Amino acid sequence: MSIPRKIIHLDLDAFFCAVEELRDPALAGKAFAVGGPPESRGVVASCSYPARRLGIHSAMPMARAVRLCPQLIIVPARHGAYSAVSRQVMARLHALTPQVEQISIDEAFLDVGDHGEPAEAIARQLQTAIRAELSLPCSLGVASNKLVAKIANNVGKAAARGDSPPNAILAVPPGEEAAFLAPLPAEALWGVGPRTAERLAALGIHTIGDIARWAEADLVRRFGKHGADLSRHARGIDDRPIVVEHERKSVSQETTFSRDVSDRALLEQTLTGQAQDVSRILRKQQLAGTTVKLKLRWADFTTLTRQTTLPQPIDDAATILATVRTLLARTWQGQPVRLIGVGVSGFAEEGARQMSLWEQPDARTERLSEVVQALRSRYGEQALRRGSDLGAAPLR
Amino acid sequence: MRVGVLQENLAKALSVVGRAVSSRSTMPVLGNILLEARDNQLRLAATNLEIGVNCWIGAIVEDEGAITVPARLLVDFVGNLPPERVDMELSVRTQTLNLRCLKIEANLKGIDAAEFPHIPTVSEQNGPGLMDSGDGVAIELESNGLRRMVDQVVFAASSDDSRPTLTGVEVTFHNSRITMAATDGYRLSLRSAPVESALPDDKMVVIVPAKSLAEFARISADADENQPVQVLVTQSRNQILFQIWGRNQEGKGGSFHRVELASQLIDARFPDYHAIIPKTHTTRTVVDTAAFLKAVRLAILFARDNANIVRLRINPANGAANGQLSLTATSAEVGDSVNDIDALVEGNDLEIAFNGKYLIDVLSQIEQPQVLLETTQPTRPGTLRPVGMGEDEFLHVVMPMHPSR
Repeated sequence: MSIPRKIIHLDLDAFFCAVEELRDPALAGKAFAVGGPPESRGVVASCSYPARRLGIHSAMPMARAVRLCPQLIIVPARHGAYSAVSRQVMARLHALTPQVEQISIDEAFLDVGDHGEPAEAIARQLQTAIRAELSLPCSLGVASNKLVAKIANNVGKAAARGDSPPNAILAVPPGEEAAFLAPLPAEALWGVGPRTAERLAALGIHTIGDIARWAEADLVRRFGKHGADLSRHARGIDDRPIVVEHERKSVSQETTFSRDVSDRALLEQTLTGQAQDVSRILRKQQLAGTTVKLKLRWADFTTLTRQTTLPQPIDDAATILATVRTLLARTWQGQPVRLIGVGVSGFAEEGARQMSLWEQPDARTERLSEVVQALRSRYGEQALRRGSDLGAAPLR
Repeated sequence: MRVGVLQENLAKALSVVGRAVSSRSTMPVLGNILLEARDNQLRLAATNLEIGVNCWIGAIVEDEGAITVPARLLVDFVGNLPPERVDMELSVRTQTLNLRCLKIEANLKGIDAAEFPHIPTVSEQNGPGLMDSGDGVAIELESNGLRRMVDQVVFAASSDDSRPTLTGVEVTFHNSRITMAATDGYRLSLRSAPVESALPDDKMVVIVPAKSLAEFARISADADENQPVQVLVTQSRNQILFQIWGRNQEGKGGSFHRVELASQLIDARFPDYHAIIPKTHTTRTVVDTAAFLKAVRLAILFARDNANIVRLRINPANGAANGQLSLTATSAEVGDSVNDIDALVEGNDLEIAFNGKYLIDVLSQIEQPQVLLETTQPTRPGTLRPVGMGEDEFLHVVMPMHPSR
């Protein structure tokens, strides 16, 4: 038997709301939700614990949330601010160990096997540090693998009740994984959605323990390869390693048309917008790449990509556009296009890039792009669009 | 057609026309080389419709005639023949070319010469009175000098077909001077020289594909230096023709009588580059050209995995210490290198990063022993030129790499 791993799952409690409470302490203890306004079909991105007690949850249409709680305070999302705070949290995790796998803006796995201390003690120190230094609540699950650590965290948070964030920590000691999982409902397991749960229930399987007791061969017969995973996971076995986050390998933008497009002008107009977006992201992230890619999907879902490698790294919209237009001219013969996209990859170290002789940082363009970015990060990507894009915009 | 030629001359002519062969064309005849026996010469020709090359070599013509045969096969076959007489005979009925050399014999299936496109030549354009009539413009230029000029600018042109204008070299004839400019948007190479032959009164500007000029420079390495090159811009201003005279001496490596190269011109407006030529500098560095080139070649071994970034640290003399140019390159995977070379530095110290490949390109075209580098800031262009040549004769402007951010 090998030495058990020490895996921590960390989740920031009601993260967007926590950041908003930092901005406006008056929100503390109130029922409020971050998201779009009900009149524009907005949804709840995150809601405070008092709002949760009233039955509001994330992904719920805001209109419905307001019906449940007419006094609900609606706070527009500020994604830029959340990303910035998230980076601070992730930086603290990386300072602890390089073995960090970030799952989303507010969630990560850590492997703290290199640390001498017990994982539960490390989890407690992390929680204290993040609260003290960043004033953010978080919950942690500790176990010998990712699956059990994540479920432990969910169980720990669910056990907390009340109007304040759970600030939970739940550790499952090595060897007790199966026993910990056994009483939990089958749906608590990864990969058990409503359909699988229904089919399991038809067999009389309701808890994870029921799955663990069921013959693996029979699960495989009924559910295929998925059945084997179910059986292993139900017994608390999960060998998946921490996948250390890789540096960004490419920047791309895609558009799926609401109706297939055979009009060259419209395709090129879409590429123009995408090249500008890709360039903006590259510059913001201080990246420059040598490979420019065009992606096309025909009406029959055949997808192809064509790319060109340039002699030096670039990040400007004009070069990206000129390159994808050449690729389009070579690839496209008038067939209806369902999806079109532009990407840049092949980044040099240090983000150094060859400057152009005619490079004139245009102050007005840069200012415009900053304002557009600020508006989009506050009100969402759809808040502000080029008039020329409206014809090509996907129907929603 | 029945003709005899020396294998060396035939191989030379094939190497002259070979690069104009179209590698992928929907017209099969463009993948062939034309052979035409006439007036005791054998003409070889190839074209991809953008550039066309005719090459004449000495031959013993028994029966005049013409055929086209597949380029790849002919080049490889002739290249492997011994340096002896090659006899060729065309079977008109089957359009098959029979080749014999000593005891080696081959039959190459061809395509009718009538299908081969016409390539314009100086001789046919050069009707009586053309020089004065204003129909086209014909200029005589010294062969060696023209070739050096081309070599010193052509590398700076873009190879990116999505920016067609920048794949050309702007050639200007004005005030008894010829000026060439090429830029790929990241660097600019400018070269100018006096012209002794008569020039048209009006300024004439054409954009010649860099590939065509590079081909001219390659071919004219075998030219007779004592004979001028004829350059002719057609009346419609859409083609440029070069006539190059061979050394005409039978010897090792083979020779040609005459080559004519015809190229389409690029119909566009060349970007105005005068505005981007720096007017001032704050650091002026004079360094040994060979030492600088060698240092960049060493640095690029480490820089090539990292966008070819070569950092230059320029330090003026300080007390007893000489001025110094220090080159560094770093790669996360390979390692790093530092190289200090002595330099005469006037002005401020500076750290600036360049694409090492760009530095190699220009330094390897400078024949003078010393080179001058003028700079201002890490994000402003640097200029290079040989010491002893005026700014109006040879100037290279190169944009730095943006410093790490």
